[in-house]
Amino acid sequence: MERKVVYPQKVLPYLLLAPQIAITLVFFFWPAGQAIWMSTLLQDPLGFSVQFVGLENFEAVLKDTAYVATLQRTFLFSFGVTALAMIPALLLAVMVDRVVRGATAYRTVLVVPYAIAPAVAGALWLFLFQPSIGTIAYPLRLLGIDWNPRIDGTDAMIVVVIASAWKQIGYNFLFFLAGLQSIPKSLLEAAAIDGASEVRRFWTIVFPLLSPTTFFLLVINITYAFFDTFGVIHAVTQGGPGKSTEVLIYKAWYDGLIAQDLGRSSAQAVILMIIVIGLTVIQFRYVERRVHY
Amino acid sequence: MPTRRLLLAAAAIAGLATAPALAQQARTPITMWIGVTGPAQEEIMRYAQEFNASQTQFEAKVEFRGQYPEQRAAAFAAFRAGNPPHIMQMFDAGTGDMFALPRATIPVSEVMQRAGVQFDPAAYIGPARGYYSRPDGTMNSLPFNVSTAVMFINNDIFTRAGLDPSKPPRTWPEVIAAANQIRERNAAECGFTTTWLAWTMLEQYSALHDLPLSTEANGRGGLNAVLNFNDAPRARMVQTLVDASRNKAFQYGGRSNDANALFVAGTCGMLIQSSGGHAAIARDLKASFSVAPMPFWPDVIAEPKNSIVGGASLWVFNAPNRSAEELRGVAQFLSFLARPEVYVRFAKATGFLPATNAAFQAMQAEGFFQQNAGRDVPILQLTRGTPTANSSGYRFGRWTEIRDMYHEEVERALQGQQTAQAALDNAVRRGNDALRQFERSVGASN
Repeated sequence: MERKVVYPQKVLPYLLLAPQIAITLVFFFWPAGQAIWMSTLLQDPLGFSVQFVGLENFEAVLKDTAYVATLQRTFLFSFGVTALAMIPALLLAVMVDRVVRGATAYRTVLVVPYAIAPAVAGALWLFLFQPSIGTIAYPLRLLGIDWNPRIDGTDAMIVVVIASAWKQIGYNFLFFLAGLQSIPKSLLEAAAIDGASEVRRFWTIVFPLLSPTTFFLLVINITYAFFDTFGVIHAVTQGGPGKSTEVLIYKAWYDGLIAQDLGRSSAQAVILMIIVIGLTVIQFRYVERRVHY
Repeated sequence: MPTRRLLLAAAAIAGLATAPALAQQARTPITMWIGVTGPAQEEIMRYAQEFNASQTQFEAKVEFRGQYPEQRAAAFAAFRAGNPPHIMQMFDAGTGDMFALPRATIPVSEVMQRAGVQFDPAAYIGPARGYYSRPDGTMNSLPFNVSTAVMFINNDIFTRAGLDPSKPPRTWPEVIAAANQIRERNAAECGFTTTWLAWTMLEQYSALHDLPLSTEANGRGGLNAVLNFNDAPRARMVQTLVDASRNKAFQYGGRSNDANALFVAGTCGMLIQSSGGHAAIARDLKASFSVAPMPFWPDVIAEPKNSIVGGASLWVFNAPNRSAEELRGVAQFLSFLARPEVYVRFAKATGFLPATNAAFQAMQAEGFFQQNAGRDVPILQLTRGTPTANSSGYRFGRWTEIRDMYHEEVERALQGQQTAQAALDNAVRRGNDALRQFERSVGASN
């Protein structure tokens, strides 16, 4: 039985909500509205001439083969980042969960990367993978691997995926660890007494019970890969070599700020917005059904 | 326009009447945004302090707003918001955008004239004057940090490879031969590299070989220019880089200034770089070095033409809220910067070129070029011969982006994903799309 809570005050709840609503309006709805309006315009870099062109910018963007290639690349990139940010985080969390002594120390060390700014993380990995002096590139060359992210698109993609994912591992780790610690020990002990192996206990008890956390992190990480990896890419590859690390958010930024083509840049921003709204809806509608709370 | 002039004149008269009273209370601030770092930035900041100390009416405030492209984006956004800086430093590639949007700025000639400050465009070295002036001789922006591309040579690596650093390679076949020799004798990890690929291998290369980048006199004739740099001589240059990268006779060092690190670390024996990078090389390279002109293909041109200017110039933004007093301050500050002694100091401290003939002669007279071997190479290369339509610079909208298209396509050729010819064909096709889009976007505004 649920008891409905009734506030005697009519105004107070709205007052309490007001700051949040104001922030959402100013920082989300207003810029989103601007983007939608600007995506229908053709204007020169300084805004002297503004022509209404309807959906022409969308048509141009979607017909552009380079844009379609960037779209596919973005999905590949986001999948790579999400997988690489979540799987090691889960592994580390399971391991730290078993540690009895010094758990705080491990936890702190593992969370630190999250505090590092994306651009700094990018610069760090750029050094490690720098073809002639990099600490990781050097052994790779000794192994006979021709490593050069400046020329080789695949190498460059590997660097930006690792740099982007690495930063996010600490965050995922914390959530996984919290999730693990909320799993009742009695369940695991009972299973152990019944003779279930450690691997079996993980897959049949721990992993299903972790699924709310996993689902939450999936949403967060995909959004992160779509939007927050700009700093890493800008610092490490600037979308190159060729276009091999250019993702949607980077292209929208480039076309808007460097090329000063605000109409097409806005059209891309709107498309990006639709993609992310769509992804989130799919996740909540279908993935959530399979999640055990 | 005439009404606005009248209003400005009226405001100027009103301003004159009140100026003495105001001068004691507050100085009129003059903001200038710049996009250079290192020694060049420090120098400009110092000139602003000296200007402020030299008079009591105006206060020049110089602000660094990110590297050139970011600074440009910030200034454009500020202009849209109705509050641009008084002066901005726009790099070479952005010049075409500014010429296509004349209502955004006031030509420097006019700023000086309105303020009654003496200003003579003829004082500037020809290539800089041509690059930043309208056909009628009105100078749109003030050339400040003028540079051009030259080749730097690591003398130690040359000696180790059995080459004579006092006889640097003059032509591309000689450069490739020298680079191969450096590799064969294992004198260095790479033969040569270049910074700013599009600027050196497309823009400077085309000027040197008297080849057009487009129709309409490299865009100076109108916004309807069509790019056509996808011909055999340009494709051969790209193919040469692709071939030379196989044995590391050439190593690609990225789109911007990053290849400079390969040279100062001793990884590469030769570097094609802006003359403005001279001071930094002298500071960082642990070996002696020489400066040589840009190489050329003797079968394309027997006597190479002049190279073109790079660097940046100072533009004066127009805005509805600009007072005549502010414009007077802008004129004062710009003419302070445009004095020969400032140009000489700036050139000496950075490696950029003296922008005026008087400044160059002053440096010659005091024997600067005798004491600093190689420092005259860029200016001699820039001013040699009679410039043609192809070696007088270019003027395209969205050139910043088109440069990157060239970078992307050449990078794909270097990865072996396409031929050199396909790289240039793609760059031209994509570049023309951008030019048409730009032409349409500004079409209704002029």
